Amino acid sequence: MRKTGMSTNLKVTLGVLAVALAVLAGVVLVNRGGDTTPTAAAEAVVRPDSHRLSTAADGKTTVVEFLDFECESCLAAYPGVEKLRAEYGDRITYVVRYFPIASHPNAYNAAHAAEAAARQGKFEPMYKKLFDTATAWGHQQQSQAAVFEGYAQELGLDMTRFKADVASAEVAARVKADATDGEALGVQGTPTFFINGEKFDGRPDYDGLKAAIDASLNS
Amino acid sequence: MTTTRASAAAQHAPGDTSTLSDRVIGWTLTIGGIVGALAAFVLAVEKIALLEDPGYTPTCSINPILSCGSIMATGQAEVFGFPNPLIGLAAFPVVAAAGAALLAGARLPRWWWLALQAGTVFGVVFVHWLFFQSLYRIGALCPYCMVVWVAMIVLFTYATLHNLERGHLPAPRRLTATLLRVHSAIPTTWLLILTALIGVRFWDYWRTLL
Repeated sequence: MRKTGMSTNLKVTLGVLAVALAVLAGVVLVNRGGDTTPTAAAEAVVRPDSHRLSTAADGKTTVVEFLDFECESCLAAYPGVEKLRAEYGDRITYVVRYFPIASHPNAYNAAHAAEAAARQGKFEPMYKKLFDTATAWGHQQQSQAAVFEGYAQELGLDMTRFKADVASAEVAARVKADATDGEALGVQGTPTFFINGEKFDGRPDYDGLKAAIDASLNS
Repeated sequence: MTTTRASAAAQHAPGDTSTLSDRVIGWTLTIGGIVGALAAFVLAVEKIALLEDPGYTPTCSINPILSCGSIMATGQAEVFGFPNPLIGLAAFPVVAAAGAALLAGARLPRWWWLALQAGTVFGVVFVHWLFFQSLYRIGALCPYCMVVWVAMIVLFTYATLHNLERGHLPAPRRLTATLLRVHSAIPTTWLLILTALIGVRFWDYWRTLL
């Protein structure tokens, strides 16, 4: 009697596991194939934890910028972006995502500083600070971590926490996760903009972006 | 062989046909207790390390989702005013010791089994509350905590099944027989459901790893 009891149990348990594995395999396969579907792509463009500089109540227009703080084109686009943000305010959702370019010596340091600031609710001030001062710290071979610490101090951050966060694996992974999403979405350089999940192919300046935003708002 | 063990345990007459022998329950409690205790121990040590040095990155902070550091800093990590792992550190070894005693042939009275039942009910409810907090409030998973969830679910299932089979807990005979017939499928299904919830909750993240 025990023998049959045991084997029924084993059969049912293995059966349950087999079904679970089959479901998992199915999900993985479907997902692999579905990587290019618009919904999957749209999800990768803005994650729940992505940094939003503004959030539109109606959720109609979302602009996502993949950027590197040490990139000249991003710096060139920055004034236009800030002007647009000032103009449109909360009528658009503006999302910033990290895409550090490895050949820029302090790209990762800067992204980590921004993320560490974000952990104290100061992403936007740090984002501005890094761009406003980019010519001072950019394109230098030496680590500018100390400079970024100075900025953090100016922003009134808890320095013990900031230093710990900058060096933490979590912050590194968070930055990396953004970059991984970018790669999956076909981002090759910075800045790359997405408007409502669609890659923006126009000129990444004030006029170009404004036209696309207006088109979305008026659609 | 099992029959002699069972009779040595003096809980049942030789030829007893219980599905979950004292041997099975003994091993389950011993291993479950040890695993739970180890996980609680590591969590307590990590918590102390974190207190000593706020910049310390716990060994289980692997990526944004699998991260103890952020979880250990939350209020949910010390619901009762002290770090949760202290509960496990105190309770799991008791379970392991009782399991070992069963393996050694000890016979435990009904009140002891009912106390174990109460303890595992508390534990299993607690870890599900933590599971909910972890997934839907904190948004991260802590690997050692998940080891505790698994240990707790297995311990609860087998303690309950044992108490049903031995009549420590009242239940319709048929129900008990049915549950016993698929005993290991119960925690398996249970854990798979939790796994599925984790998969869905962090889907955005997992798919980036594919």
